[in-house]
Amino acid sequence: MSLIADVHLTASRRLTSLRVPPTVAVSFVIIALVIAWSLAPGLFTSLSPVNGIPADKLLAPGTAHWFGTDHLGRDLYTRVVYGTASSVTSALIAVVIAAVTGGLIGLLSGFFGGWVDIVFARLVDVLLAIPHFLLAVIVVTAIGFDTTNAAIATGVSAVAVFARVMRSEVIKIRQATFVESSFLLGGSRWHILLRHVLPNASRSLLPLAVLQFGLSILVIASLAFLGYGDPPPASDWGLLISIGKDYLKWPWLVYAPAFLTIATVLSVNRISRWLRKTD
Amino acid sequence: MAPQDGLTSTLIRPEFAAPRPLRSIPLLKVDDLSVAYGAHQVVTDVGFELGRGESLALIGESGSGKSTIARAVLRLLPSGSRASGRVSFDGQEILRMPERGFRPLRGRAIGFVPQDPGNSLNPVRTIGAQAHEAAALLDEPDRAMRKQLILDILAQVGLDNPQRVYDSYPHQLSGGMLQRVLIGLAILPRPSLLVADEPTSALDVTIQKRILDLLSRLQDELSISLLLITHDLAIAAERADTLVVLKDGIVQETGRTTAVFASPASTYARKLHADVPALNPDRYAGLRDPGFRRAKAEPPKIEVSAVTKTFTLDGQTLTAVDSVSFGVPAGTTHALVGESGSGKTTTIRLLLGLEQPDAGTITVAGEQLNGRSPTELRAAWRHLQLIYQNPFTSLDPTWKVEQLIREPLDRFRIGTGQERDERVHKALADVGLGQHLLARKPGALSGGQRQRVAIARALVLKPDVIVLDEPTSALDVSVQADIVEVLLSLQAELGLTYVFVSHDLALVRQLAHTVSVMHRGRIVEHGTVTDIFDNPRQPYTCSLLASIPSGVTDVADAPQPQLIVAAE
Amino acid sequence: MSGPYLRYAAKRLVQALAVILLAYVFTFVVVSILPGDPITNVLRDPQNGFTEDEIRQIIAAQGLDQPILVQLWTSLSHFLTGDLGLSVRSSRPVTTLIAEVLPSTLVLASSAFAVALLLAATIAYGTQFLPKRFGQGLLRGFPSLFLSVPNFVIGLVLIHVFGFQLGLFRVIAPNSFWATFFAAIALGIPISAQIAEVLIANLDHESGQDYAAVARGRGLGQFRLFAMHLLKPSSLPVVTIVALTIGELLGGSLITETVFGRTGIGSLVQRSVSTQDLPVLQAVVSLAAVVFVLVNLIADLVYPLLDPRVKLVGGPKHRPTTADDSSAGTPQAVTS
Repeated sequence: MSLIADVHLTASRRLTSLRVPPTVAVSFVIIALVIAWSLAPGLFTSLSPVNGIPADKLLAPGTAHWFGTDHLGRDLYTRVVYGTASSVTSALIAVVIAAVTGGLIGLLSGFFGGWVDIVFARLVDVLLAIPHFLLAVIVVTAIGFDTTNAAIATGVSAVAVFARVMRSEVIKIRQATFVESSFLLGGSRWHILLRHVLPNASRSLLPLAVLQFGLSILVIASLAFLGYGDPPPASDWGLLISIGKDYLKWPWLVYAPAFLTIATVLSVNRISRWLRKTD
Repeated sequence: MAPQDGLTSTLIRPEFAAPRPLRSIPLLKVDDLSVAYGAHQVVTDVGFELGRGESLALIGESGSGKSTIARAVLRLLPSGSRASGRVSFDGQEILRMPERGFRPLRGRAIGFVPQDPGNSLNPVRTIGAQAHEAAALLDEPDRAMRKQLILDILAQVGLDNPQRVYDSYPHQLSGGMLQRVLIGLAILPRPSLLVADEPTSALDVTIQKRILDLLSRLQDELSISLLLITHDLAIAAERADTLVVLKDGIVQETGRTTAVFASPASTYARKLHADVPALNPDRYAGLRDPGFRRAKAEPPKIEVSAVTKTFTLDGQTLTAVDSVSFGVPAGTTHALVGESGSGKTTTIRLLLGLEQPDAGTITVAGEQLNGRSPTELRAAWRHLQLIYQNPFTSLDPTWKVEQLIREPLDRFRIGTGQERDERVHKALADVGLGQHLLARKPGALSGGQRQRVAIARALVLKPDVIVLDEPTSALDVSVQADIVEVLLSLQAELGLTYVFVSHDLALVRQLAHTVSVMHRGRIVEHGTVTDIFDNPRQPYTCSLLASIPSGVTDVADAPQPQLIVAAE
Repeated sequence: MSGPYLRYAAKRLVQALAVILLAYVFTFVVVSILPGDPITNVLRDPQNGFTEDEIRQIIAAQGLDQPILVQLWTSLSHFLTGDLGLSVRSSRPVTTLIAEVLPSTLVLASSAFAVALLLAATIAYGTQFLPKRFGQGLLRGFPSLFLSVPNFVIGLVLIHVFGFQLGLFRVIAPNSFWATFFAAIALGIPISAQIAEVLIANLDHESGQDYAAVARGRGLGQFRLFAMHLLKPSSLPVVTIVALTIGELLGGSLITETVFGRTGIGSLVQRSVSTQDLPVLQAVVSLAAVVFVLVNLIADLVYPLLDPRVKLVGGPKHRPTTADDSSAGTPQAVTS
């Protein structure tokens, strides 16, 4: 709406956008910690994630064992820290696959239109028609059960989302006045595609990619939970929860890894929302 | 039932026809009103009075706070804003009144006519359903009677088929019709104050005049007080008894219209007066007049002859441009004037080769452009450039100013890297922008700066012909005046040929040498600017000319044309 | 039912059929690129105790000795006649296997759907009536929280709290009322978040529109503004979003059924994955696509009838061409 506030609100929003809201700051801290855990788990714990002390099994959380211990006497905090790398990197792989493939499909089908668009649009329709978790399950079944494959499957199942968003952005931008203007000023088709359409369309892909990163953590955790990821003694968060569900009398085995999964995804979502708003 | 009957039967009731007793307190009194959005102060210590049956105009450009004041009076400020000061309506302080106490006044005593009729009615409900909300404010228990009152009011605001309008959804009506509906709904509960926020800025010029006439007539007949918010000094002077001139939320000048208009006291009001094209037809005479000699002497740079273009939409054929011909001598400005849908934009797209004509020829600088492929046109575009209407959409937001201006040089591979840099700097200086803007992105520029960048971008190629598609219609009048000055200086200096598309006749009178008036795809009249403005021959041209606000208050003459409106 | 609508409907119908067929082919391709030959692996698994003769019979019955394109063609034509083939594992018709478990999944999915709608409406509409400062912000936080919790975690927490601690239901009786109820909540919560997000965004968008300000200027209070103006335009587009969540419902039931130990389509898929029973997987995925496409087809066909704003491509032009019929298309930045 073209009322009063617009001019001023955008001006003041520009000012506030330089400051990071406290919840976003907290989210960045959590993500930084998670990244640190996955890069150098050894810095954060001196215990072994694989070998436990049978005498210390199923201890409740305390000062010695922050998250308690599991049925084999392994420190749960250590297992969570060591499980971070594969839980987070695999989500990253998934997002990269989905964003690159989906982005490319959307870019080409939106920019060139015609039969390219028709072919890709039907492919995207098909990918969307199969429930994405089911799709991830059959893809991981087809290529074999391990965490990397689960990440690939998750990526494939999210291609359609990126393709669809990219396509609509590209179509919107292709019709923008500045694109025609560049054409009049001598810009070739490829120049316009690469220098005008792609940078503008990618801007809206960033918050989506961040959001999809959070979703991928959840999907990969779900696949691990069903046993389609790396087998034990790996300690992916989904797998930890899956093991914990058989020991519900010692609920920290579920709650600790679950809490971390939720905190990570929640932070990622918060950052995505913030990116969308400041754009 | 003729609308005129509706008028007498429903609205001129005895209590309204009788002159109101003059009371000493004004209907609306604003004192020391300040409004802030967060840390941003939008309105500072504004005060004015509006008497019963009188009209007052708040005038200002973007950011002047005029709409904010209107919203403060209506208590429709967005959340997160703080207002202080006093606003009294009919002797009651309303700014700090609890919402429960104010709601009965809103709509019933204070009516509101919004800016953009297209977005001001709920798209998923019929006009009738929404009209009943306004009718609910009347003391009329019977629904059938209320419906009759609604139909009467729709007829009264000049809608000739009230029942059809009543059953329609908003998207089925035109902008002018919707604004009539909104005015009707606002006056239905017989408010004593009507707040109209730029009620015509989204409408075509001839419609603008009819809507303003309607407001003036209703105000007169129903003795409603009118608070008119506008950016147009000429409109304000025509329609209001009192003017309040605002800049950056601060009152610059207040007074009776005749006084303020005839001899503005403040610097800002004087500048505003000088920048309104309708009031200063000869402002750029010095820069423009040499062109008249060229218009007679020079051969045509552009020749458009018998060009036709049809579009097929939903199986219907629409002739957007119908055998249009005109020629433009080198170094002069030719204006294409018309309302939306007149075919003026399609004409320039054909001229540039962005669309291909179905028939006719287009020649620019001796080269025939129609029938060329985009690759062949590319060479022509080095000499033929376009400035778009809206600088907010015509610059890529991810690019910096320097890249933007340099882009055409890179694309056409003109000169060495250093030469390109020099040309960029020169173009920027030519349009009056400082070098410090080179590293900025369009988002950090004002509308006027953006349009200058767009002009620099076209200039850098050193074209002979520039097509300008309403280049100032998205900008404030003072910014418009600056841009026009830049364009005319460049023409005087470089001998550029302009094709200037506009809906604003007053602006065209200031800067063009020759004019074509377009209506429904055809050129209905063409000639020199003096011919068209002094001796118009076609009725359509006359109605366009009549819609230029003159700034002269003469409401008494207004009711006459209403007979035409009623028959729309 | 006007001409343009029928044309639109016909076009959507053809598209839907095309997508269903392509989805079948796509699934077939994905399951056929399995490394090695899992079918014969399963059959030759000594635990299954098939003789060579039986194996040959099964391979012939499944048409596995045919070239891949012929297999696809046979499989596709059987699919079109409703024949989904035989399970490799049990040699029973796949349709029978699915029919056995379908009712349980349908009960779960439809209750989860109800939970999702109810929760989404409560959250989204609730934001309209809570004071800005507290309540509303809290309520607005729910969708993003719900979206961040894996649904198996919700399930486990519910089992732990209501099953173990409070003893409201027993995990060994997964089809009891309470077990189904909590399973539906676990499945419904993430879906409610998606619907609520869209609803809230639509409500914010609509209440920021000029017409809402104008209606307020006509003297409407918050409740009537919501009920008469905002409810319909913000909720109508949700029809299509709701249809899109059908996929989530099917995918999510896979996990929820595992967590709650229910038999259903999800457990059938789980079992077929571990035994590499491809005909069953192929059938379930194709059917899921059919359900998804059909539900979305219905939503797309119904939506234009509900929302007068939707102008179908090639739709009728209502705009009269009077002299008054031209609101200038020039956006003017003249507001202050």
